Amino acid sequence: MDNFSEVLNLFLSIDNFIAIAAGVLVGVIVGAIPGLTATMAVALALPFTFSLEPVTAILLLVGIYKGGMYGGSITAILIRTPGSPAAACTLLDGYPLAQQGNAKKALKTALYSSCVADLISNIALIFFAGYLAKIALNFGPPEYFWLICFSLTIIVSVSGDSVIKGLIAASLGIIVSTIGLDAVYGSQRLTFDSYDLMDRVSFIPLLIGLFAIPEVFEFYTSKIVPHVRSAVSGASLSFSEFKRCLKSIIRGSLIGVVIGAIPGTGATAAAFISYSEAKRNSPRKDKFGKGEVEGVAASEAGNNGVAGATLIPLLSLGIPGDVITAIILGAFMIHGLTPGPVLFQENLTMVYALFCGILVSSAVLVVVGNTAIRYFSLIAEIPKSILLPIVLMFCVYGAYAVNNSTFDIGLMLLFGLLGFIFNRAGIASAPFLIGFILGPMFEDNLRRTFLISKGDPSIFFRGPITWLFVSLTIASLAFAIYRYWQSRRATYPSLKKTRCIISISFYRSSPYAPCVQGEGGSHSLLNLNFKGPKHEKRFHL
Amino acid sequence: MNKLDADIGEVEERYYGRLNPNSILGLITAALATFFLSYLVPNYIEEPGHLSNPMLSPRFMPVVAGWLVLTLSFAMAIEGFFRPPKHTKAEKLHIGIPKSRWILMLAACSIYMFLFEQLGAIVCGVLACFSLFAASHLREIWVYILGLAFPIIISLLFIHLLNVPLPAGMIWE
Repeated sequence: MDNFSEVLNLFLSIDNFIAIAAGVLVGVIVGAIPGLTATMAVALALPFTFSLEPVTAILLLVGIYKGGMYGGSITAILIRTPGSPAAACTLLDGYPLAQQGNAKKALKTALYSSCVADLISNIALIFFAGYLAKIALNFGPPEYFWLICFSLTIIVSVSGDSVIKGLIAASLGIIVSTIGLDAVYGSQRLTFDSYDLMDRVSFIPLLIGLFAIPEVFEFYTSKIVPHVRSAVSGASLSFSEFKRCLKSIIRGSLIGVVIGAIPGTGATAAAFISYSEAKRNSPRKDKFGKGEVEGVAASEAGNNGVAGATLIPLLSLGIPGDVITAIILGAFMIHGLTPGPVLFQENLTMVYALFCGILVSSAVLVVVGNTAIRYFSLIAEIPKSILLPIVLMFCVYGAYAVNNSTFDIGLMLLFGLLGFIFNRAGIASAPFLIGFILGPMFEDNLRRTFLISKGDPSIFFRGPITWLFVSLTIASLAFAIYRYWQSRRATYPSLKKTRCIISISFYRSSPYAPCVQGEGGSHSLLNLNFKGPKHEKRFHL
Repeated sequence: MNKLDADIGEVEERYYGRLNPNSILGLITAALATFFLSYLVPNYIEEPGHLSNPMLSPRFMPVVAGWLVLTLSFAMAIEGFFRPPKHTKAEKLHIGIPKSRWILMLAACSIYMFLFEQLGAIVCGVLACFSLFAASHLREIWVYILGLAFPIIISLLFIHLLNVPLPAGMIWE
């Protein structure tokens, strides 16, 4: 009872509610503006959380994450430009609905299915994170070592159209993560005698540099493309239509939860699997792809079902499920907290206060989403030529705020240049970030394992948990390679012999379409090839 | 054809030759990885005199990652050589950009990087915004009023609401 009142005391603060509302609002707005992504918004919001309480700070970022997930579908529906890879599935039926003059119906379907899926996902988070954390209490360095190996397999799924390039980016991320003083011997590693680099490369300048600055550089090194506008019109979603979609929404949410709980699988896979399952089971399957409300509902449910579930491995095991949760992991560390089983032991009230806030965020999404639909035309009117100078200003102020040092501004611009080169070369930035975050954890656990075993390598296979993670790592790698091979078959027709159900390939970045970050890295031109036994659909975005 | 396609025009579906961005990039990263492994690691990562296990060495992770980059770079170069990538529509947008556009962007970045503490956050913000607005050929007065107002509002937000002490400018003191 005491714990319960402590949780309420911690959660029932006006700051938390403002943070959730502001986070969701910013997420929806950023997601709704072509060219800006939820990843960029979370990265830019990080410096704002310095002076906030840990719970308020994390809720702000989670709010942006959830708002951004929904916001990405707005541009997908209205201007056929998905704000995130996962929203690519929403446009299959959302855009035809908008073309038929039913944009409002499509947006409302996306909103309500997102909220239901989000709620289901949050409930799953509350139920499973604690159990998983309890199991993780038995983990030692060898178990964590294999867990991080398993997490590193995310790299394959976030590498975009080239796994080789993704692995190079991840290795570069690992190299950058080693800069600073060595944790065991205290010797300098690649510091070049610079005092600013002794305490490792700052996380926030790197993050902002990789995910926000390349957009600015890309815009000013490309031709000016006319601003695309769209309007919200038509009838709204009726209750009977929503009821008809409910089965697909719940199915999609559960698919999202299962997929989201597995690190690296991602919202895109969940959205497409949910969509194909809805189509398979629907009596109106012939209408899918031509503007079917159920199609929008299923893909959005799959997409948003992932949002809460990706926090399960983050909170219980301390490993990120995707790029945004990797940034949230950084936010925990900035506030002196380490996600994982220890968090549940030492800060249980804080964890439950977070759960309360995450639940509330689903309700806030309904209110904010409805408002965004009404005023979307105003949001979408802001051209990039006005927006990006302000974004750059936020980036600079945010980077400076970390250590009150202009060195961090330079570092941010340097990583911005790296991100820009990555974009132009078709290399995803996400693996670099994953390498930067997981590299030190990998090294730390490897060294600790060798220290406690006095160099005996058999400790790496000491029990069922290590064997479980070894198997999971191998299975995850095999699955990722299989999926990669499938997409390669679609890209190179000469390799294609058997049919593939869904394949997605990402083209190189372009400045005139929104940058799809996260799973595909920084890519924008999408090429979707759907091949079934009797039909084939191609979408070039 | 959608509006964006119309702006860019049709792009021929053709592949690069043997010397393509992937193979060039692969060779450049391979050269950088070689420099890293042969010069930076031995000279800029100190190794303790006695090590019980080579995996405990401070050089272990950077060396492993460096070798990974080197191997994968060669793989990328070879892949690019045997399977050249296609030309993309995005490439057309990068051709024929007025020099003033990216020079003004560089000027804005330089203002932030070199003059941030000297001129202060607000003045730097205003100058950089004006520079970037000019890069986009914006002529409307209200846009420049916005460029003046935003740095002031955001700086005050950082300083008073978030307790982040942004520099006021050394030359004004």
